[in-house]
Amino acid sequence: MPTAPEPALSVRQVLGLERVLAGEPEVVAGASHLDRPVRWVHVAEAPDVGVMLSGGEMVLTTGVLLAGDVEAQAEYIRSLHRAEAAAVVLGLGRAFPAPPDVMRRAAERCGLPMVVLHRPFPFAELTEEVQSRLVRRKFAAVSLSEAVRTALTGLITAGAPLQRLLDEVASHSACPVVVTNLAHRVLATAGERSAVDDVLRDWERIARQAGGSEGDGWVRAELGGRGERWGRIVLCGYRGDAATGRLLADRAAEALVLHRMLGGSAHSWEEQSAQSLLTDLVSGVVPARQLLPRARAAGLPVNRRTFVPLAVRDGDPAHLDRVLRMLGLPGLVAELADGATAVLLSLARDQDAEALTTHFATRLRTESGGGGKGVVAAADPRILWDDVPAGLREAQHVADAVAETPAGLDVPVVVRLRDVHLRGLIRLLRDDPHVQSFAERELDGLLCGGGAADQDLLPVLRTYLATGRNKSRTAQLHHVSRPALYRRLEAIEARLGVDLDDFEQAASVHIALLAHDAQQG
Amino acid sequence: MSKVVRAAVFQTAWTGDKESMIQVHEQAARDAAAQGAQVLCFQELFYGPYFCQVQDKAFYEYAEQIPEGPIVRRFQALAKELGIVLVLPMYEEEQPGVLYNTAAVIDADGSYLGKYRKTHIPQVEGFWEKFYFRPGNSGWPVFDTAVGRIGVYICYDRHFPEGWRALGLAGAEIVFNPSATSRGLSGYLWQLEQPAAAVANEYFVGAINRVGVEELGSNDFYGTSYFVDPEAQFVGEVASDKETELVVRDLDLAKLREVRDRWQFYRDRAPGAYEPLTAP
Repeated sequence: MPTAPEPALSVRQVLGLERVLAGEPEVVAGASHLDRPVRWVHVAEAPDVGVMLSGGEMVLTTGVLLAGDVEAQAEYIRSLHRAEAAAVVLGLGRAFPAPPDVMRRAAERCGLPMVVLHRPFPFAELTEEVQSRLVRRKFAAVSLSEAVRTALTGLITAGAPLQRLLDEVASHSACPVVVTNLAHRVLATAGERSAVDDVLRDWERIARQAGGSEGDGWVRAELGGRGERWGRIVLCGYRGDAATGRLLADRAAEALVLHRMLGGSAHSWEEQSAQSLLTDLVSGVVPARQLLPRARAAGLPVNRRTFVPLAVRDGDPAHLDRVLRMLGLPGLVAELADGATAVLLSLARDQDAEALTTHFATRLRTESGGGGKGVVAAADPRILWDDVPAGLREAQHVADAVAETPAGLDVPVVVRLRDVHLRGLIRLLRDDPHVQSFAERELDGLLCGGGAADQDLLPVLRTYLATGRNKSRTAQLHHVSRPALYRRLEAIEARLGVDLDDFEQAASVHIALLAHDAQQG
Repeated sequence: MSKVVRAAVFQTAWTGDKESMIQVHEQAARDAAAQGAQVLCFQELFYGPYFCQVQDKAFYEYAEQIPEGPIVRRFQALAKELGIVLVLPMYEEEQPGVLYNTAAVIDADGSYLGKYRKTHIPQVEGFWEKFYFRPGNSGWPVFDTAVGRIGVYICYDRHFPEGWRALGLAGAEIVFNPSATSRGLSGYLWQLEQPAAAVANEYFVGAINRVGVEELGSNDFYGTSYFVDPEAQFVGEVASDKETELVVRDLDLAKLREVRDRWQFYRDRAPGAYEPLTAP
């Protein structure tokens, strides 16, 4: 853990220096305040030294001007206390052969650490040693700050994603790092996986608490700019010293604000967070159970819920998210790699999952201005979180299958596995070599046709079969007269060498065509 | 024994006209009912812009009689159809020149239960409310609805602990706080005061704030509506600070008894010592 030490030494640390130990220091008062920071070391014999101090100094004196004047000794201590000196060190010798009782008692009352040196040595050696250490510490803090800032700025200018920035911060902090939005939703995390999971497991309790408290190494920095707050970054259980933790959190917050401002869209972090979670769920690389803390921290209710996995082709995730909010449906939305947008709804157990899915899909269609865009493919609701990945894959599969439905045909507002019938099965089998060669064999006559007139035979065949061999509907959908359609169907039959009025032959061609389309998709 | 109420609040942006605004809220009531919500509260002056950003008597037109006016009638029918308790924050005209910032409460069978009139009326930059409203004179009514005892405390009221307490003493289990408040002004208070009131009075609070910037001024209404429980825990997430959002949450009213058995604030308060608070 590369840390910059506190820019100040404590009284205790100064007393522990080898040079000081040689002077046989003894703490005679204020022993419970030895952790005070020493900002500077000051040698002063003046009785009114208090007026020259600005707080945090360790004052070294032989007390030569105080000897014999009891009142002056007590006032000397009081003036140091008023000036918020860190400690007073008295070198025993000619002026005070033994610790003066008046000063000791006054120091004890004020809570000012008082140290006597039984073997005094030149004070200059001590000031030099302590001062150089203080300067080195300040330099180390500035240097760490610069190193972190340079690294983060480099990542931002290279266009690195949020996660990369956080990984960098976590490499310095050696503890989990969490970014949340104003709704306490966890947008991103970094750090060792198991430590992050431990933090997220308890996130509900921590985040839902209005207010929140510092301490226990939880270092928070607000994220915001232009008078607006967006969220915060939290170092969870930072084990280094407080000043370094603060420095890291502040540098990280600056970088994140810059990243967000340069990155544009206000929703991008939320989207990225949902995307990484849903992608991990669908891929199955990480067991679902292990993703539960992340899902909960991302704001998805997970206790005693029904999960409805959905997939929407050509859906804009931001739009889908707006519709979910409008309807008050809790869920996560993210575009997956293949162009389908996954939506995972979380409903209360007593809610009617089917009715609410239809409600969502209907509103989505209205809000999109009607049309076939944004068909919602749904898997069966899942009660168990472990079943969610399979559900998401099922919804994706249904969405893919329905995407191959010829344009113009009615598609229900919510499409399920049972609605895609044979199309669904063929899609699952599309990579099978037997199915591929079957499709090629069956359709060879059309696929190898070269002329421009042949170009629209395949679409006509597709519509004709999809409409259940309905000639008038097919003619209508292709904007051709019925006689023109008959001529095309005759051409198709001739090319393929089949009789489309024969059910089995037509079914065979239909299956081949579905397989052909699935392979293209 | 747990008694769960599915409660909702709705935050939205000004659409530009009163009728479409009413329709957006009707749809929200249907959406809430589709989820099984049993009670729903809208934002302050729900069917209008937040016109108190300016002082213009043209907006007196937004006021109507409660309950005789058309909006209450319209939502009474909807409440009955959907079987949902509705809290409607509106602009009320008792008689010409006597206007209040009011919330009407409709029971799940469509019957009108009564109204609360906002007591504390602000007059600060962007919130010129004294121009529009007389201070309320309804006292601190608590309405015995189909889902439990409900109180309403409107917007600026929330800065005054006395009314929260009065509602608690009258037996409120859920208090709705419909508001219109802007980012620069109250952002630091929004997640502090209502949770504190929920803790001090040991009931649930539903806080609602509209979203967006309207044409009448620069107030940036920041939404972030929420429910908070008697232990100051947000129930589910806080809503978006920019988007229209329906917030539907399950509130377990058993938590009231649990918390009140633990903390006896109502037993230990000392009304005899509070006389200075009510001295004029």
